[in-house]
Amino acid sequence: MSRGASRGVSHEESVVVPETAVLDGETAAATCPYCDRPFRRERLRDLHVGDAHERLSDGEKAAYEAAVEAEDEDLFIYHLKVAGALGVVFTALFLLAVVGFSL
Amino acid sequence: MSRRAEGGKVRAAVRRGAVWFATFAVASVTFSTSALAHAGSLAGSLRSVPAPFWLVVVSGGGVVCVSFLLSAFVTDDETLDAFERAGVRIGGLAGAVATAEAALKLLGVAALVLVVAFGLFGPPVGIANLGVLLVWVGWWAGFAMVAYLVGNAWPLVNPWRTLGAALRGRFVAGGRLLRPYPDRLGSWPSVAGLLGLVWLEVVSPLAANPRALAVVVVAYSLGTVGGAVVYGDAWFRRADPVARVFRLYGLLAPVRRGDGGGISISVPGAGLARSRERLGADDVAFVVALLWVTTFDGLVVTVAWGRVLDAAAPVPAWLANLVGIVAGFLVFLGGYRLAARIARGTADTYVTVGFVAGWFAPALVPIAAGYHLAHFLGYVVGLAPALVAVAASPLSPPANPSVLAVPAWFGGLQLAFVVLGHLLSVWVAHARAFDLFPGRLQPLRSEYPFVAVTVGYTMASLWVVAQPTVGGVAG
Repeated sequence: MSRGASRGVSHEESVVVPETAVLDGETAAATCPYCDRPFRRERLRDLHVGDAHERLSDGEKAAYEAAVEAEDEDLFIYHLKVAGALGVVFTALFLLAVVGFSL
Repeated sequence: MSRRAEGGKVRAAVRRGAVWFATFAVASVTFSTSALAHAGSLAGSLRSVPAPFWLVVVSGGGVVCVSFLLSAFVTDDETLDAFERAGVRIGGLAGAVATAEAALKLLGVAALVLVVAFGLFGPPVGIANLGVLLVWVGWWAGFAMVAYLVGNAWPLVNPWRTLGAALRGRFVAGGRLLRPYPDRLGSWPSVAGLLGLVWLEVVSPLAANPRALAVVVVAYSLGTVGGAVVYGDAWFRRADPVARVFRLYGLLAPVRRGDGGGISISVPGAGLARSRERLGADDVAFVVALLWVTTFDGLVVTVAWGRVLDAAAPVPAWLANLVGIVAGFLVFLGGYRLAARIARGTADTYVTVGFVAGWFAPALVPIAAGYHLAHFLGYVVGLAPALVAVAASPLSPPANPSVLAVPAWFGGLQLAFVVLGHLLSVWVAHARAFDLFPGRLQPLRSEYPFVAVTVGYTMASLWVVAQPTVGGVAG
């Protein structure tokens, strides 16, 4: 199920349309066919289309699902890194506490 | 739903479970040790320090950093939506609200009259003067706390708005004075006004001298009522610093006015996360100015700032403070703009720097509120008995109203408020990032520079809050 659909029909109206700027001499890697928002990666465009817009074509639905799946893989690696970072921060705080209390 | 998608979902759930498990394993091992440090540090943050102060400061930054790392696991829309939308709506209160409105308006105007009257003709000692106590204890500290902890009633209480609206009604017949608010000014007058008001509060004896306070209040009233008559409500939306501060605090508060005239109660900070208002460079500057002046207000009473003023000796204190407040504001604004610029890179997006800065600015409000609470709670608790005693007999107040001495553990509470404000700020930024950027990785990456700024800012404000101060509660 698309994440957009879970929010009901009024969702499309509440989607943020940010101000964007593509520098001269640069072409956006992808552009949303519905709201013309430019993206630096096709995957981001596909995610945006599935998240923000409704009544997608079959191709867009498939692209969205593929993008979500690809992001799942990356998110898993990312979360492992975050867990590692948590470990580093806690260890650092612990060592600092040991140093601090023994001074 | 296709079978393939379902399989992917199950796999994702298993992975999420694995990551959660790993996180909790790491967390539980280390929490058992860090809890010791935590308890020790809070108990004696100000005096008789069992933990060295630098450790308290670093731990504060560490807690904020950890809160971001933990929030990185909350990426599903349902949870984020629940934070923004959970709440109760109370309708059918229209009659009660209208009555309360009239009462609050009357109360606001009466308080303004009392402040000016007692300021001009009341006892000349600040702590025995009802006007002084009403302004500083009742309003600047107490009412502001209510605004962000409960709800913002300022649009109703605001005596200048009431007076302005009443006078404007009279001038409508002539129509010569009424003008639309000049758009090219934007909200910059409120930025200058906020910095100016706080500077004035710092350099003048407004807290001790009732006459000076009354003069400033009258001058401010003339300017504000004039603005309200000429420009109408736009004056309070764009130019009046006080109304704008309370408006921002009100977005943080759990109780807000619903769209249909009723009242809605939600999670604190949900209003900030949900706000879709477009903030321009001027509005961003105002939010940053609010953050900076709450810090500056605490900074000027520290011994360290006193040394800075001494070092700048030939320069008069008012000038040094003016340079300090403007320079500090520019540094804060520059730091925030830089964070927005870097966020554009880390998130890998075409969204403009200005838009990113405006989009994340509401997340700064909880920091300002947490800092305000840390700075003023002791002040309100300490001086509340004096306010009550003086209010009971304002014409012949007790010569030396009793003041509560706050217990030592209050210092720990102050540090906790500062950290709490930053935690809420990280969470609001997190929720907003997911509303701006698609998917789940790009929003997280957009938060890096803001988290770095927040961690640095936590440590700086913990340092300021715990500095020894000069002078007592009464200023």
